[in-house]
Amino acid sequence: MPIIAFSSDSYQKSGEIAVKTAEALGYRCLDRKILRSVAAKHDIPEENLIKALDETPSFMGMSSKAWKRYLIYIQEVVLGILLDDNVVCHGLAAHLYLLGISHVLKVRLFEDREARAGIIAKQERVSREKAKKIVRRKEKQRKRWSLEAFGRDETDSSFYDMSINISQIDPGEAVSMLVTATGYRKFKPMTYSIECMKERELIGRVRVALLKDFPNASVQARGSAVVVKIKALKREKSRKISAVKELVGNISGVHHVEVHIIKDIFREAAESGR
Amino acid sequence: MAIITISRRSYSKGKEVAEKVANRLGYDCISRDVLLDASKGFNIPEVKLIRAIHDAPSILGRFQHIKQVYIAYIRSALTQRVKADNIVYHGLAGHILLKGIPHVLKTRITINLEDRIAEEIKRKPIGKNEARSLLLKDDQERRKWTKSLYGKDPWDSTLYDLVIRIHKFSVDDAVNFICQAVSLKQFKTTDVSQHKMDDLAIACQVKAALVDEFYDVAVTSEYGNVIIYTKTDERLGHKFKQKVKSIENKIEGINNLEVHKGVPYPPEAI
Repeated sequence: MPIIAFSSDSYQKSGEIAVKTAEALGYRCLDRKILRSVAAKHDIPEENLIKALDETPSFMGMSSKAWKRYLIYIQEVVLGILLDDNVVCHGLAAHLYLLGISHVLKVRLFEDREARAGIIAKQERVSREKAKKIVRRKEKQRKRWSLEAFGRDETDSSFYDMSINISQIDPGEAVSMLVTATGYRKFKPMTYSIECMKERELIGRVRVALLKDFPNASVQARGSAVVVKIKALKREKSRKISAVKELVGNISGVHHVEVHIIKDIFREAAESGR
Repeated sequence: MAIITISRRSYSKGKEVAEKVANRLGYDCISRDVLLDASKGFNIPEVKLIRAIHDAPSILGRFQHIKQVYIAYIRSALTQRVKADNIVYHGLAGHILLKGIPHVLKTRITINLEDRIAEEIKRKPIGKNEARSLLLKDDQERRKWTKSLYGKDPWDSTLYDLVIRIHKFSVDDAVNFICQAVSLKQFKTTDVSQHKMDDLAIACQVKAALVDEFYDVAVTSEYGNVIIYTKTDERLGHKFKQKVKSIENKIEGINNLEVHKGVPYPPEAI
């Protein structure tokens, strides 16, 4: 059965519909409550993970290195759960790292800007005009976040299978449409899409294993074969290849590791200048 | 019953979706007919109207007001057509031209660029690269056009009630979703929403009647009480007054007509 990945500007609103959809289908609903276990597993504060999902790194805020690390931790756990299918996922940006998996139904939920501005004006006791500016600023922030994190603009509707305006179409009807959609043949898991999902999950675990020593490694997987690309100088090549193979070779599900070295031209230039 | 607008890029199967929805619901399906109506009604060659829609504004914007005139004609023809209800419109900017009418279901159909290229190649004897450039250019032109005339980005999903991507969903799936959505209570025509539609049609007709000679007027209508907003006193020449008088007699549904000068235009004015 398919996975449904929600995207929304409002975690609360998407949560409402995600929970109702999961109930209607008898699926598990995966949301930010999972961050507690991610935080416990890696011994980091849960609020840092929430921040990583909402904010981009900044000079006074979270560092870029920490931000990328937290997103990798979150992906590892989320992908592990999504292997099981029959899951509705929201608030974890899964729609951005499940691209190319055919049994994932990607849905964007959005509200009229006027309606959102009205709610913000009431909640924050500001004028309507100020509330509209807040709405626009939040949209820009969200766009910037998704572009920086995953190279995709999550506010672009052409990216989703379906986008629903929940100011016009009530939640009950939206749920009904989604339940109908999950019955369509093209969203049924197939051998190939299940394999793709397994490869993504494996990549998630390998990236976590490499995070400490090789935070910028790029990882690909084909079946149980993993290809890791890292930067290194000539003289470091064999040492680093061995280190990667040792870290990755013991991961369950990995049967073959290939390491490709990308020339680190800046370090080489720096070293040759000495 | 309702009005459905279907916005789409070229070769995105939007026309096919529109025709199937109209067929399923027993609605009329219109697109180009609106241009023909506007062309006949205002005695403008259809090709000029098409250029007004398709071409992006020039850098100098020399003929901007001519575009505004033609858009006013098209909008008047469109609102006259759709006010009878039970209609699917899949022409340009329906979701913007019919904004504010509660019983309009605004939808958009999207499709992968590669699928669109494949469609274009089927219909025209051109290569893949040429098809890609033509489609991207057409997309940008339409986007610029909508942005410059209405300040809205047509790719902004918040302009719509429902956006469906034809890829894993088929055309028939999209039709099912649209028919399901239009059966909702909020898209049923009520007395209030029909009055809003009638008022929009009246305001558009009044604007279309004036815009050729007096292109910077704005018009509102509320239960047939029409207000024409104009910027300065100089506008109230004899010619203008004569024109306004003739409108009151010619256009059906006007209960009262006033001219307000030198006041800011309300945001909902046409």
